[in-house]
Amino acid sequence: MTKSQYYIPIGPIHPALKEPIRVEAKVEGEKIVEADVKRGFAHRGIEYMGMKRNAIQALYLSERICGICSISHPYAFVVGSEKALGIEAPPRAQYIRTIIAELERIHSHILWLGVVAHEVGFDSLLFWTWKGREKVLDVLELISGNRINYSMYMIGGVRRDLKESHIKALKEMIDYYRIFNQEMKNLFLADPVYKARTRGVAQLSKEMALKVNAVGPTARAAGLRMDIRQDIPYDAYADIEVRGIVPQDIVGEVYGDAYDATLVRIYEIDQSVDIIEYCIDNLPEGKIMAIPNYVVLLSKIKRTKGEGIGAHEAPRGEVIHYFKYDGTRDGPAVWKVVAPSYNNINSWAPLLLGAEVADIPVVVAYIDPCMCCNDRIAVVRDSSGKIVDSTTLHRMAVEKTMRIKKELGVKK
Amino acid sequence: MTLKAEEILNILKNSLGDALIEQEIKTYSLGALRKRECSEVWIKIDRGAFRKAVEEIFKLDYPHLHFITGEDVGENLEVIYSFGLFHGQPGKEISVVIKLALPKSELVLPTITDLMMGAETNEREIREMLGVEFEGLKKKRHLFLPDDWPEGKYPWRRDEFGVDDMIKHTHKSVKEIRGGKE
Repeated sequence: MTKSQYYIPIGPIHPALKEPIRVEAKVEGEKIVEADVKRGFAHRGIEYMGMKRNAIQALYLSERICGICSISHPYAFVVGSEKALGIEAPPRAQYIRTIIAELERIHSHILWLGVVAHEVGFDSLLFWTWKGREKVLDVLELISGNRINYSMYMIGGVRRDLKESHIKALKEMIDYYRIFNQEMKNLFLADPVYKARTRGVAQLSKEMALKVNAVGPTARAAGLRMDIRQDIPYDAYADIEVRGIVPQDIVGEVYGDAYDATLVRIYEIDQSVDIIEYCIDNLPEGKIMAIPNYVVLLSKIKRTKGEGIGAHEAPRGEVIHYFKYDGTRDGPAVWKVVAPSYNNINSWAPLLLGAEVADIPVVVAYIDPCMCCNDRIAVVRDSSGKIVDSTTLHRMAVEKTMRIKKELGVKK
Repeated sequence: MTLKAEEILNILKNSLGDALIEQEIKTYSLGALRKRECSEVWIKIDRGAFRKAVEEIFKLDYPHLHFITGEDVGENLEVIYSFGLFHGQPGKEISVVIKLALPKSELVLPTITDLMMGAETNEREIREMLGVEFEGLKKKRHLFLPDDWPEGKYPWRRDEFGVDDMIKHTHKSVKEIRGGKE
């Protein structure tokens, strides 16, 4: 018999992947018979860096763990640090935090919907959804001054207050998304082509979701009712009684596939809009920082010994930060970050088994992977095995650009 | 079925006996206008009783593994596991945090991947970052570190097995880089 098994590496750099990761699949014909995932291509040793810096510097660093859900890590950071240090944020700050976190959920979910539309080959839908995402990014820019990396949170509160003009813009945005989300439901959920492409693909059973430790919309699409906002409510979520959205509540049955994941995410946008509306209607008055002076805050951290776990339900699932402050320095002695994709990527290997090669992008995309969250030292060595430092790397990059320009004949 | 933090602690106390070294129930009040209590069970156990403690937790409910982490505290490594019990029930999730000290001469722990497949990622990370061997862990390939990572180097260690000599700036504080001026 001729050789029938082939090895297909996908990534780390591949047109179907937006971020670097490698899926190594063995295929027989179109069927995948073995799959392995290699991570770490975007590992930057952020936890290691954070343990050498003070808590406020590490907070800003945590925001740069992920470029898409840039507020999820600071949220878990502040919740965990406040538990460890015994600080409590004022009610107004807690409400503002919740509003920002939900704004981010809206933009992240719409981003995913666009990506998955692209993965199934429906590019006009990608452009349409991303056009709708601009609205929430504009509001975030208005409130924080940035489209991403909002730098809103601080241990014990928030750095910027919500003004009347912000609330007006938020109300306008709420009306916009009520209509836009209805249109998305029609376009995604009622579309026969989208349904045919996603129904039954990347199907995860409830038992499997538990075993692989899946979190967030991936677990909820499999019918697991888990959501940090519901299980360990914090900040304004404790006032609102948030309930995890599962497909059995919406359509009465669970498949646990990419279609259900779409369903869960679209309905979560509705939920986020409702949460934001509740928060701006019930926004308490008062101050926004428990300890407004950073020097005082840092000296308090330096004097406090304590440990704490901070959890936040990010758009992709739960983010967990563990802190240990040892009372000798003003930063964390131990900082451990677990991001949603860290857990959700576990589901790829079982899901890819028996799937077809064409399904790989959908399987990879349906958990909404975020590699920069998942990986958190990169060292480059030259041909003799010596480590190349960043200055040399930069010089080499500039030289290469010059060389390419010359070869291509680019003048200026 | 859900249990309170005290009840979980009692069950663990009864089954572990003397192996339970330290115990604490941490209670936080969370929320803005309507406060809620949230409890966590923190225990420190003898390393020999680790597997028994985990099995006891799995008997109560199929947990969700929050994280496994560790710290180099000189002679020992302190390994920390956190499990979430009773997730999926509003306001009822309780974290059970297990700490154990591993002497550097014998860095071995039993795996929990037979109980929970997803723990493989966490165990492989701890294995490459701290050098703890997990008995029964099947896949031992590097996960986050490159495949050609030098042997006997563990990024989270603070002793001679650490990586301070491999990195140029990231391990220094801003003060050190600027030569004492901040």
